Formats: sequence, C-alpha cells, structure tokens
Amino acid sequence: MVIRPYGYAIWEFIQSALDARIKARGVSNTCFPMFIPESYLSREKDHVEGFAPEVAVVTYAGGEELQERLIVRPTSETIVHESMARWINSYRDLPLRINQWGNVVRWEKRPRLFLRNTEFLWQEGHTAHTTEAEARQEVAEMVAVYHDFVSEVLAMPTVCGVKSEKEKFAGAVESHSIEGLMPDGKGLQMGTIHYLGENFSRMANVTFLDKDGEQKFVHMTSWGVSTRLIGALIMIHGDDRGLVLPPEVAPSQVVIVPVAAEKEPELVMSRVSEVAQQLRGLGLRVQVDDRDGMKPGAKFYQHEMRGVPLRIEIGPRDAAQNTFVCAWRFTGEKEHLSMDALETLPDRLDDVQRAMFEKASADLGEHTISVHSKDELIERLNRQDGFISARWCGSPACEKAIKEGTSATTRNMPYEHTHEEGNCIWCDDPATTTVLFAKAY
Amino acid sequence: MKINQENSTDNFAITPRGIDFSQWYLDVIKAGDLAEGSPVRGCMVIKPYGYAIWENIQKFLDNEFKKRGTQNAYFPLLIPKSFLEKEAEHVEGFAKECAVVTHHRLEEKDGKLVPAGELEEPFVIRPTSETIIYDTFSNWIQSYRDLPLLINQWANVMRWEMRTRPFLRTTEFLWQEGHTAHSSKEEADDKALEMLEVYRDLVENYLGISLVLGRKTESEKFAGADYTTTIEAMMQDGKALQSGTSHMLGQNFSKSFDVSYLDENQERQYVWQTSWGLSTRIIGALIMSHSDDKGLVLPPKIAPIQVAIIPIFGSEEDKSLVMEKVTKVKEELESVGVSLKVDDREGRPGFKYFEWERKGVPLRVEVGPKDVAKGNVVVVDRLQGEKNFVEDKDLSSFIQDSLDKMQNSLLVNSKNFREENTREVSDYGEFKNVISEEGGFIFAHLCLDKDCEEKIKEETNASTRCIPFEGGIGNKGKCIYCDKEAPNKVLFAKAY
Repeated sequence: MVIRPYGYAIWEFIQSALDARIKARGVSNTCFPMFIPESYLSREKDHVEGFAPEVAVVTYAGGEELQERLIVRPTSETIVHESMARWINSYRDLPLRINQWGNVVRWEKRPRLFLRNTEFLWQEGHTAHTTEAEARQEVAEMVAVYHDFVSEVLAMPTVCGVKSEKEKFAGAVESHSIEGLMPDGKGLQMGTIHYLGENFSRMANVTFLDKDGEQKFVHMTSWGVSTRLIGALIMIHGDDRGLVLPPEVAPSQVVIVPVAAEKEPELVMSRVSEVAQQLRGLGLRVQVDDRDGMKPGAKFYQHEMRGVPLRIEIGPRDAAQNTFVCAWRFTGEKEHLSMDALETLPDRLDDVQRAMFEKASADLGEHTISVHSKDELIERLNRQDGFISARWCGSPACEKAIKEGTSATTRNMPYEHTHEEGNCIWCDDPATTTVLFAKAY
Repeated sequence: MKINQENSTDNFAITPRGIDFSQWYLDVIKAGDLAEGSPVRGCMVIKPYGYAIWENIQKFLDNEFKKRGTQNAYFPLLIPKSFLEKEAEHVEGFAKECAVVTHHRLEEKDGKLVPAGELEEPFVIRPTSETIIYDTFSNWIQSYRDLPLLINQWANVMRWEMRTRPFLRTTEFLWQEGHTAHSSKEEADDKALEMLEVYRDLVENYLGISLVLGRKTESEKFAGADYTTTIEAMMQDGKALQSGTSHMLGQNFSKSFDVSYLDENQERQYVWQTSWGLSTRIIGALIMSHSDDKGLVLPPKIAPIQVAIIPIFGSEEDKSLVMEKVTKVKEELESVGVSLKVDDREGRPGFKYFEWERKGVPLRVEVGPKDVAKGNVVVVDRLQGEKNFVEDKDLSSFIQDSLDKMQNSLLVNSKNFREENTREVSDYGEFKNVISEEGGFIFAHLCLDKDCEEKIKEETNASTRCIPFEGGIGNKGKCIYCDKEAPNKVLFAKAY
C-alpha cells in the first residue's frame, strides 16, 4: 500500500504521541536489521510455525544465490534477542527496554488497506527483566499505556484482556490485547502485549548473573501497535459522508473557507488571515482553503470527506459584522459566533475529542452482550451483534467448534469482568473464564 | 543502577588514529556505544545512543522539509522487478546491488525449512524508490494545479555491498528520500539547489562539518539523473565523504513512467523532477570529522546529551548536600533548554568521566562537597579538556557560551583542516605524488573525456568528488591528464 500524505500525517501524530509515552517510561529507540537469517526464525518452535507460512524470502542478492536465505522481518524478536544476549551480562544491565519504529512484512493473500497489508508500519517494544513478576508488571503497564493512548488520542474505547492459547502470539507464554469493536459488529485487535517468559531467552541464550551469583535466563516482553490503528480509526468514527477525525490526530483541526469573497476580496481575505493567525496562536492546526476556481460548496464537501473537525466560513457580511460561521464535522451542527468566541475554540475541540470517545464507548457498551445459551451465541455471532460475552471452559476444542460454526474467534478474556460460576456455553462443562467472541478483522 | 565495571576501560581501548585510522573508527563506534554488527552480513544494529543522534538529525531535516511545503508519505518496500527495468540507465546502476524476494512462504521438508510459494514476478527490496514513487506520481498528477508535488519518505533501503563498514557502507541503511515534480525546468533546477542548501545547513551548522558544494561529473552522477549536486566533506584521514546528494532528474523518469500533466493551454507535458537524499552515512562523517583518540566528540547541537552531571561524595551526609545542589543545577540548566544526564549510578567518578568522554558528551559538570561549600561547580570541556571553576550564579550562561563556542570551533577546525589539505595541482606527476604522499583533496583541471577520469582513478585511486560551484564550474584550463582543453576545475580525492 502507498500511504498518501494525508494518511501518513495521521500516522505521524500517532507516532509522536505514542513515542513520547514510550520514552517517558525510559525506553530507548533503536534500529535492527530488516533481514533475519532463516535459521533464526526456526529457533523457537512455535514462533517458526506461526510465521513460516507468511514470510517474504530473499533467495538472491547481489546477483548471486544466497548460501543462507534471508527473510524480511515479520517481527523482530529473534534478531533483537540475539543482540540482547550480548548486551546483558549482569543484573545491573536490567531491565533493558528498547523500541523500534519500522516496517514488517507478512504475506497477505487478501490485503485490505490499513487492516491487512503485506508490508505495514509499526512500533515493536522489547524488554528484558530479572524476574517474572517484573516482566508481568511491564506487560500490565504497557497494556495501560496502549489503552490510554488509544482512548485519549484516537478517541477509541478498547477492552483489555488476555488472549486464548489459540490466539496468542507464536512463542509467547501469554498474550494480552486491546480489542476494539467496529460498527459492523466485527472486532479489531488494536495492540498486543506479550509475556514471553523464558521461551525466547532460552533459545537465544540471554542470561544474566544475578545478585546471588547465579546465571539466570531473563524474562521478556514484547508489544506493538501498527498502521492498523488507522483502519480502526476510519471505521469507528467515519460516517456516510466520509472520515471523521478526532482533533488530536487531525492534520488540519480547522479549515477556513472564504465564502463569496469576490464581492469584498480585501475585507474577507484579511479577516480570514486574521482568524487563521489567532487560531494558530492558540495552538491549533489551521488550513486556509483559498483555492481559486472552486466553489465553497465543493470545498465543504471535500473537507467533510477528509474529516476536518471544524470548518469556519467567512463571507463579506460575517467580516463586516465581526462574526463567522462554525460547522462541526462530528455533530453536523452549524452556528454563528462572534470574533471574541475564537479563543473558546481549543476547548470546544477538546469537547469534540471527548464526545467522540463517549459516543464510541456507548456503542461498545451497547454492543457487548452476555449470552447464556448456545443458540443465542450462534444467532448473535451470525448477526454480528458485537462482542458476545459468554462463559467458557477454556478448551481449544470448543473454541475451534465455535469458529467452525460461526467463523467468530475469541477476542480476549477481559480483565474487568465479574466472573459468574457456571458452565461452558458450548460443551456445558464447568467454565473457567468469561471470554468475548466476535468475527474479527 | 550500578556501573558495570568489568565493562569499563580495557574493553574500550581505542587504537590511535595515527596508527590505524580504520581500526580507530571501529573502536570509537564501540566505545561510544553507537552501533554493532549483526548476524546478517553487512547489516548493523543501531544502538540507542547512535539512534538518538539519528533522531536529532531527522528532527532538523523533517522540520526544514515541512517548512518548505514538503509532505511525508510512505511507499512499498517491495518493488516489482519490472519497475526497475523501465529506466535503462537506472536499472544498470542498481541491478547488481539488489536483494530479490522470490518466495512468500517457508515450509518444513525433512526437518528443514524450504522456500515455497514462488512468486510469478519477483520483488526487489528498494535500493531507492524513484521507480515505485513515479509510478504512483503518474496517478496523482493530472493537471498543472497538482504541481509542484513535494514528497518525502523516511525509510530503510537495501544495497547489497561486498565490503561494509558501520554507518558508511551497510547493506541496509536508513535515509530520507525526497521526490518532487514541477511544471518547469527552472523550478526543478532551483529545487535541487534549495534542498542541497538544506543539507549544507544541517551538516555545517549542526554537525560542524565544513563542506564543498558542487556538481558531480557525468560518470559519478546518479543513474538516471540529468545532473547530481553534492556536498563533500573531508575526513581526518584526508579522504572524502559524500554526505548528501540532490539530483535534477530532468524528464528522464517522467518519460519512462508517463508522469505528465495538462498545462494551462490544455497541452500534455512531462513533469520535471528532482530527488534528494541523506542517510545514516552522515553519522560516519560525524564520527570521522571530530572524534579523537579518546573517543567520540559530538557537536552540542546534535549531541543527545549536552551535559553530564557527576555528583561526587564520600559520606551519606555529603551525599544529601551534593544531590541537593545537583538537582538545582539540573533544573536550572534544563530550564534554559540544555539536554543533560545526571549520572548518579554507584561507582567511582573516574569511570563515569571516562564513559562520558568516550561518548563525546560536550561538557561534564562535577559537583562535590567542596563545590557546595564554595558555591561553584567544575566544568570540563570535551574538546580541550579544559577545567573551569564556575560560580553558581554564572552557571547557565557559562554552559550556554561553552556549548556555542564548541559548536563554532568544531566547524572552524573542520574548515581549516580541509583548506590546509586541499592542494591545487597542474601537473599529473605531482598529482600522483600528492595523492600517495599527502592525501587530501586535489583541485585540478579535467576535460570532458570520461577516459581521463577513469584512468586517473585506476592509476591513483582518487575519484572526482565534484566540480565545485565556487571556482570549479567554468574555470577553464588544461586537463591534468591529457593536457587538452578542460572546461572545469575538479576536486579529486580518495573517497569513502
């Protein structure tokens, strides 16, 4: 996929906001090779099984057949851990926390823009710790970082929980995720956080000399979010007129369109630039659309489609009367304001950001449905009613049967769930957990 | 956290420059904790400290690009092989350097992984993105209203290299590549120069490296360009390093990829294009320009850490006094925009001095009990090793002045060094002598016959670096090799 400038600008806002949150935790950025020797992938048995079916293989380079084939990274655990084995000697070198912003390749037969691309952009964090408790703490904190980031910056509510054995990352002890619900009732995994235990450190021999003088394996985590988030953003907030962008990540938060400017060009245009300047002074990202040869209506339509949160219209009468027109993309409301209301606009945009999150949260709540019978489960999953919450025995056999019957998968086992005693919705054996089912992107 | 003392002194022995410059370079990278090798031949791992330098470079350039209306975008890593073949010169330039993806799956067979899912058309990993970007441009550009189109991409690229060196020549490297399309030749000419000027600003004013700006000769230009402009720097061993290039592509690619538009008269025209790039190579230039036998020397404007503060104390009582002052110093310096690190790890101060020295931190501030009593601190300068007792009240202005002075003197030193080691030569015997005995840059006349350039390279190992804008282009004389009419004076050097 080619990410066009407008789409890439959204990714840049995601990057800079998340990068700051990651760095605030003492994580450093690095860059690891995009190639991974084939043999590295095979070191962790589950890992290779999970990724071998979808890797891009380089067999020729520099005009010659390679002795050892290279794969383009589908994820970087194996090569990062190879370095960590050298970087870590003693408990003093721990915890080690690094992050990488990069591209990865996972071959897709049926690509969909932003959601499923052979190449995508992401960040992948990798950490090493002295104890399981510390690594699990890191996982919990990163789940919170992702959840808060997606809530606050992208205005998207998510459910935090644990992945099933079948759905976890290939090679992890346990995977956690933040799951979003799309308006069509399908789920979308927006970020994953893995507790890797010693699985990878044993393969790459990442050990440290502990305080007690013993050589031990480190406990590891890895976590990532990708350009998939943009796919979620489009689906959760968009409407039939196009994109609706939360102000935090809108490349232009305000677009100013001069209206009927030809009648009083000087008056209108000087007011337009005055308003633009004031709003920029208030810290807003402002675009002035003064293109010639295009009717205001056509411009409105275009900016609506592009999801610009606020459109300001200024015509000769507005300029003369010291007013302007505000058209809000999220609510569709239009209002006349006087010039002294300009300084309230940053707060009003914050309100939009909050309201977008609240609306999406209400949708998520409304479409998270507990079911207690097999028939209802099947019916609701087939109708794509949303996240269908049910008691489950935890067995992969039931999970598989449900998938075969409904093409829905387990999304995660939410942390925030009061578990009721009862039996598995499928096999009627005693349930061990409550899980969310949904068809998924 | 405690300092890992077994990781100290001996592991970071640095070979002096005078003994073995290329070993010195590798030692400095290791001692500075910038990067290391990887299991993939020719690829490196950029460690956090090295990556932080790259992030500072990115920040500066990205801002300059955006100020000029350039937008970032992202294009695929994998380029269909046939794309590369569309521009004849271009494919010749890059064909042998590409890595080729031929399969999209691995399968287990007899306990071994074998490639499966062979692709009908193989993909090359981008060595540069002109072809895939211009294929896209042909969809984006319809009318003169869509021009100029100014696009940049931050990405990794891959060129298979036989002899690699960290930062300077790695199989995979990071860079930015700008691509622009214009309606007139003049506008594209100007853009190519404008972007070269952005690079000059970065390299001279932020990295403190003095440059020669000029145009590449026909044989050294980018494969597919009308002409290539370049910034060339001189390393401490007298060799040249091409630090950034900006190409005027003319209509070569727009004709191959059908990037055309309807002009104001409704006539179809091909666009004029430029492309320009700067890579992690520049970090190699940074290291080889300023560093010394003690390790890295980083210009303040690009250093991830400008000041390292080292608390010194023996007793617990001293500790609280010292740390109280350290916090004050930290807050004061941070408030004036200095980026700093308080090194409060356990361990002897000597080890810490040594570490920040080899990591090239411009200034070290020491705070001990005596300094608390006297109301001063000790400031040590990385470049001169000068030790100053600075009164508390003068601290922030002293630090800012010192950083400014150091920034400035690095550039002055670099300029002086380059000028001292640039020689004008008019006789080929002398040319050979200078190259083998003295090294450095040679400024000499060269005719347009590619053979002369090639023979000089064969016989002396010196290549043409550029035809300098100042004193080079249009400076007529006799060719240093064949004695025929030469339209230009050219800069020669052995190069990285």
